[in-house]
Formats: sequence, C-alpha cells, structure tokens
Amino acid sequence: MRRIVVVGGSIAALTAAQSLRAEGFDGQVTVLSDEAHRPYSRVPLSKGILAGREPVESALLPEPGDDIEFRTGARATRLDPRARVVTLADDTQVPYQGLVVATGARARRLDGGSDLVVRTLDDARVVASRLATARSAIVLGGGFLGMEIATTCRALGLEVTVVDLAPPLLRLLGPWLSDLAVAAARDHGIGVRVAPDGVTLLDEYTVRCGESVLEADVIVCAVGDVPNTSWLEGSGLPLAADGGLVADERCLVAPDIAAAGDVVSRHGRRTPHWTNAVEQGRAAAAALLHGEAARPYCPDPYFWTEQSGLDLKISGELPLTGAPEVLAGSVDDRSALLRWTHDDGTATAVAVNHRLPIVKLKRLGAGPPVATPSGA
Amino acid sequence: MTRILVDFDRCEGHGLCEQTAPEVFRLDDEGELHLIRDEVGPEHESSVAAAARVCPVAALKVQP
Repeated sequence: MRRIVVVGGSIAALTAAQSLRAEGFDGQVTVLSDEAHRPYSRVPLSKGILAGREPVESALLPEPGDDIEFRTGARATRLDPRARVVTLADDTQVPYQGLVVATGARARRLDGGSDLVVRTLDDARVVASRLATARSAIVLGGGFLGMEIATTCRALGLEVTVVDLAPPLLRLLGPWLSDLAVAAARDHGIGVRVAPDGVTLLDEYTVRCGESVLEADVIVCAVGDVPNTSWLEGSGLPLAADGGLVADERCLVAPDIAAAGDVVSRHGRRTPHWTNAVEQGRAAAAALLHGEAARPYCPDPYFWTEQSGLDLKISGELPLTGAPEVLAGSVDDRSALLRWTHDDGTATAVAVNHRLPIVKLKRLGAGPPVATPSGA
Repeated sequence: MTRILVDFDRCEGHGLCEQTAPEVFRLDDEGELHLIRDEVGPEHESSVAAAARVCPVAALKVQP
C-alpha cells in the first residue's frame, strides 16, 4: 500500500493520518477536509468561542507535519471502492490504495438549513455574533450540546429557555443525573420547558410548544447530528439504520477501507465523543496497515460536559438507573464522586464538580484498564 | 528543538498524550502528568504535536 487517503478533517481524521506515520507507514498520506479552516477542535465551540471569550485561534489544533498532505475545501461527493477513487465536489478524482472514512456528522436541521446550529467553527461564529446583541434565547434540544449552549447564553446575561420533547438529558443519562442537571439548570437561571406534544419552529424568532408560543431574539437548534454518509450512497459500503457507516471491532469497513469518529456505527450505535474519535482514529490506521493482525479496538466509554455550573465527567455505560453510591463529597453540595454498579458487575463512575485524575475515574468506572509505566 | 508547555491547571489526567508520545509524557499512579523532558528534537516533533492535538482540554502547547 503506497497511498492512503483520509476523508475528513477533524480529530478522528488527523489522528488516523498521524497514526499511520507512527505505525511506520512511509507512503503518501492525503487528508481531504471539506472545511475552509485549518483543523480545529469542536470542544470550545459551545463554550468559550460561542461566548466570544476565546479567540477563534484558540480552537485550532496543531497542524499535521509536512509528511501529511492536508487539503482544505476538498469535499468528497462519491466513492467508487472497485476503482478505488474518491471524487470531490469539483470533480477531481483522488485515487487511493487504502482509505479512512472520517467524515463525521453534521447538525440535524429543523428548518431546511436556515436554522442556527453550533457544529462547525463558522456556525459558532454566526451564533456568537447573534448572541452578542441578543437579550433572550431559546435552545431547542436538551442534550449535552443544547445544555452547554444554554449555559453560555446565561453567562452572557441572556434570558434563556431550553425546550425539548423530554426532560433534558433523560434519554442519555437516565433519571437521576437528568434530575440533577435540570435542577442545576434552573438554579443557574435557565428555563426548562418540556413539550411532549411537539415543538415546531415557526420562524426565526418563534417556536410553538404544544398550545403555547415562545419568542426570543435568537433560537438555536441543538437537536442531534446526522452522520455524513450521503457521499457513500451507491458505494455498496454498509450503512446502519442510524445512517452511520458500519465498522467492525478493528474499525474496518471493507477490504482496505477503515472508518473512525462520529461517522462510525458499531453494534447499531454511534459514539460521537472526543476520546472515541481519537481511539478509533488510531484503530483505523492500525487496521489498514495490519488487517486482521491489528488489535481489536476497545471502546472507552468516557466523556464530559460542562453546564449550569456542573462539571460532569463520566466513565462507563449510560443511561443509568437507580441512585448511585456516593464515594466522596456530597450530592446536596453538587460536588461528589458517584458510582452506579450494573447487574453485569460493571460500573459507571461520575465525578460532579469533583477534581479527580481521569485515569482514576476510569478505574472506578467500566473503562478499560489504563496502562501506566509502573503497571498500576 | 520543539518546546512543550503544559497548562497544569487545565490538565485533568486523561492520558491521551502519554498514549501518543510515551517518550515525553508520563502519568504517575495518581494520574498526575509529568514531562520526561520539555524539549524534543525533530524526530519526536510529530508525535509531540499529535499529543497536543489529542488533548481533550487543550492543555498542551508545542513551540517550534
């Protein structure tokens, strides 16, 4: 294999490209990013960038080395796995011998594309400029992103309401942590409106929830993401019901094609988190180079969120049922180390405003054993 | 030489840097990060940049 093409330009793509080099691949590596920007992290987009508190440059990631070709503005529109060619929007044909699909996901839209979302750096800048002069905001969607956006709106002094069909974070975290997050949000001055009968975006400033109509200067939609696989239609690669690209335990999709990051669906589920994107990027590179001899990828169910004055770090499977064991701190003070033990003997550890090295949190949760040089 | 700067206030001990560039980053048993060295030559430039890139809290900076 002399030429590997990585389609995508975010952390999964960059990690895959760099990991190919770390694994000793000395052929050509080309990364095709559809964005106009140098690579950046999405982590601060809903926080410091949205608040206008941090400059856009602070989100930029160290660029890949000279031994990796990084092309911006290169949007893949078609894949022909038989001819081993990626076609770009400008009809350029990019041949490959090995391929990593890391095209990520895009924001799900409620309004055909005109609604405000926070997914890309450009999205965040547009919303930031709107928030800077607004007095009120509505956030549609009470997931992690929606709650983080609402928190930023509060920090900017806006009146803000989160609207969702179900209580925020209930589906993702389970009732105990959802209750905690909602209570913290209300204490933080964030309105929470649950509208099980449906939510309709009427126009740029108005939303209907059941019988009532809410208005705000800015309405931001955070209603989930959709994997970017439309360019793979017709390629014959396996797509899951959730739209994600099906990859095996080594992140392989087909011979000489691997995948990593938010685009991947494993066991019918996508895991659009940072750690997962990094680890799948590494696994995809190893799988392309070593095939069946590559070590199976071991998912690390770790992620974090900062919202409503809560710094939540979670290691282990979700959602959670029942009440946790309190290992340290106090739930009433909203500063605690919590653990849920599951029926199968595994556990999920959650740090709420509790500073603890992540490797320790992972030892308490169900994360994979973290190797340290001393073997602890 | 490439210089490595760690913002220890931001560092939360995720350990992705150690997995990426174990010749430079080491987490101790307590999960605290230590730099084995704070400057590297060209042969480690790319792995150190990669370690900075994968840090979930952007606690690492590299200076050429």
